[in-house]
Amino acid sequence: MQETDLLDLSDEADYAASQQHGSTSMMRSDSDSGKRSSSSETDPAEVLFAKDNVAIHPTQFASERISGRLKLIKQGCSLFLTWIPYKGQSSNGRISEKDMSLYTIRAEPLVDVRSIRRHTPALGWQYIIIVLSSGLAHPPLYFYNGGVREFLATIKQHIFLVRSAEDANVFLVNDLQNPLQRTLSSLELPRVSLASGPSTSISAGESPLNDDQERADGSIHDANSSISQYSGRHRQKNHDPARDLSIHVLEKFSLVTKFARETTSQLFRENSNGFGALDRKSYNLSADEYSPKAANNAEKVSNAHPVASDPMEFDKLSLVWGKPRQPPLGHEAWATFLDSEGRIVDSKDFKKRIFYGGVEHKLRTKVWPFLLGYYAYDSTYAERAYLRSTKKSEYETIKFQWQSITPEQAKRFTKFRERKGLIEKDVVRTDRSLSFYDGDDNPNVNLLRDILLTYSFYNFDLGYCQGMSDLLSPILFIMEEESESFWCFVALMERLGPNFNRDQNGMHSQLFALSKLVELLDSPLHNYFKQNECLNYFFCFRWVLIQFKREFEYDKTMRLWEVFWTHYLSEHLHLYVCVAILKRYRNKIMGEQMDFDTLLKFINELSGHIELDSILRDAEALCICAGENGAASIPPGTPPSLPIDNGLLYPQQDEVL
Amino acid sequence: MGTIAHNSLNAKLVLLGDMGAGKSSLVLRFVKGQFLEFQESTIGAAFFSQTVAVKDATVKFEIWDTAGQERYHSLAPMYYRGAAAAIIVFDITSTDSFARAKKWVQELQKQGNPNMVMALAGNKSDLEDRRKVTAEEGRIYAEENGLFFMETSAKAAINVNDIFYEIARRLPRAQPAQNPAGMILVDRPVKGSLTASCCS
Repeated sequence: MQETDLLDLSDEADYAASQQHGSTSMMRSDSDSGKRSSSSETDPAEVLFAKDNVAIHPTQFASERISGRLKLIKQGCSLFLTWIPYKGQSSNGRISEKDMSLYTIRAEPLVDVRSIRRHTPALGWQYIIIVLSSGLAHPPLYFYNGGVREFLATIKQHIFLVRSAEDANVFLVNDLQNPLQRTLSSLELPRVSLASGPSTSISAGESPLNDDQERADGSIHDANSSISQYSGRHRQKNHDPARDLSIHVLEKFSLVTKFARETTSQLFRENSNGFGALDRKSYNLSADEYSPKAANNAEKVSNAHPVASDPMEFDKLSLVWGKPRQPPLGHEAWATFLDSEGRIVDSKDFKKRIFYGGVEHKLRTKVWPFLLGYYAYDSTYAERAYLRSTKKSEYETIKFQWQSITPEQAKRFTKFRERKGLIEKDVVRTDRSLSFYDGDDNPNVNLLRDILLTYSFYNFDLGYCQGMSDLLSPILFIMEEESESFWCFVALMERLGPNFNRDQNGMHSQLFALSKLVELLDSPLHNYFKQNECLNYFFCFRWVLIQFKREFEYDKTMRLWEVFWTHYLSEHLHLYVCVAILKRYRNKIMGEQMDFDTLLKFINELSGHIELDSILRDAEALCICAGENGAASIPPGTPPSLPIDNGLLYPQQDEVL
Repeated sequence: MGTIAHNSLNAKLVLLGDMGAGKSSLVLRFVKGQFLEFQESTIGAAFFSQTVAVKDATVKFEIWDTAGQERYHSLAPMYYRGAAAAIIVFDITSTDSFARAKKWVQELQKQGNPNMVMALAGNKSDLEDRRKVTAEEGRIYAEENGLFFMETSAKAAINVNDIFYEIARRLPRAQPAQNPAGMILVDRPVKGSLTASCCS
């Protein structure tokens, strides 16, 4: 097939260059390693395509972008995609080796790719999003020097790539109309992984890359092989299938990050007690599905396979160690946290106290500005009073920017009219059943409108998006004062703003992390979602977007939020709450064979029926249980994490424009 | 996609339209007979079901109610994929919402199920004094584009059940006489759609 059928390449100068590069960089794979199968070790790895300055943007900050080299590598009949960040980017201290390693794409077999979406904005860089068969996606890869076309053209030369009928910018990989045919075809393709035992992609990752000079971190390879050797030794010593299984699952999981790999090997050494043992226990339910022989193709072929073999066993784990919830923090206890000038001396202890009990309602107006990050914990009464007054005049200044728009000006200012219209439509239907917001001409509804409109000028790039009024409502309800509410909302949006990004990046990264956590903490449920093509976790969209605001009564939501805002065990406790709820209903979900539609309906209808305190205890237990593996499942920069640097010191630059 | 067994039919229906046009209110009126003056915005999507009886058959609607804001547009295909019917809703007091409705119609014509039964609903017909889109405009546009058109009011319960019943009547169905064993005889083609998934 000619690549010009779909893609006109004649005007792309760098295409020729990349072709040249491809033809001259034949690479031999390392043939010393005895671990690989005979079929793969004799095949040379051939670089078909290489592109420099392909970057990911983990956060909105230019200083945190990670550049690297994208390659397509052919080995035998298999095509792999790699993206290796350049060395030395961590020297500026903002990107850690861990971050770089987390995002590295070591060797993604193209058979595991469902589609590639191309974005070619009129202004700014082209980027692609690679969506895997599992429904997960890699972060967008930005081509600073162009080259998306020849990247796709190169793929097209080697595998079946068709443009989606639904969207001209989506290219489907291996898309044959008949799903059975598709399954068979993916099985026919000889995969390096088939021959190399349970640690599928690790070996796939080793072979094409052994000679890779751009490798970000030389220790990665060593880490891989030490795990393989270690697990090999264990298997010889002890044929406990559960152990094999946990090794397999953890190895599989450890593909996510080098960091996870390190902690995995820790776990192997320590798994005779502690939560290593728990991990093993929780994984052994799916032993049948995961015996090494079956691991590669069983999932694809036997969709009819029932899910968990013994859900009851799983429930025995039922997370009894979340500490009992405490009564909320009251005035007397609050006073003990303050020194004579009003500083919170031990902020860690303070946050811990709120994590386990929340705050009494009347005290919230004092405590929330700290939790949200509007007040510094070590600020004094005087400093806060000063902050309030300067921030009040700053607020008035921003507010005046839209207040001063005359009707004549507004006629010629579509964006403003639209934005105001969106906000006005939403504030009148936000929590109107509460007495605080009910009735005609309620001044608090007008305050909601004014604050949201002012915010949309303060953060003009983000603007207004549905869901924001839900996030503001409890803050205004607690803070009451307009400027204070605004700045508390600003502080919250520093963390949750990415939930509302146009490209849905913030939501995708959280749902991705959620899928990784479920995989770690409930692999049968994960497999169920996988078999039913529910791995996109869109049924949890509302939970994540507005932090369970619609799932609990108003006062419960406030309790939950203040617990989240402590970031005591994790900044991402909300994801563990998602896992806790899903685990609670896992037997129902799997037992009733819910598909995506039914699942979304079920999840939406859970609203008002979730018992907050016990879910919080479960989430706490899950978070502790997941430990560093859990933390490593969540890519850095995933909301609600703050960007590594203070946004005021490194202002949001350019982005695409 | 609707599936037929005996003389009952399951039909997936999706509601699309500008935010605040009244999608959720129409569903709530149809499914629960209720109306909330300040129906909260839909985040993500909501799912409802309601069964209606037409002639000798019953149709169980599986209704997907979507978020209206443009920024959530990219999620919509997940919900309209495989739908047997769609109601595109606009607000007769807003020309912008009518323009948006036309965009939805175009998108469905391009990417939806080609046999989809589409209805155009000019909602808030109780707000006659604030009307910006005439019934004639709606009717002509619908006629030209192969939809049927009704002006509705979720608040005043005007034409709400009617629009769902009309869709139910228009859904393709099996002939009971030829279908004694209750087998699926009518297998509507799924031209241009992707391979089956759980979302269809």
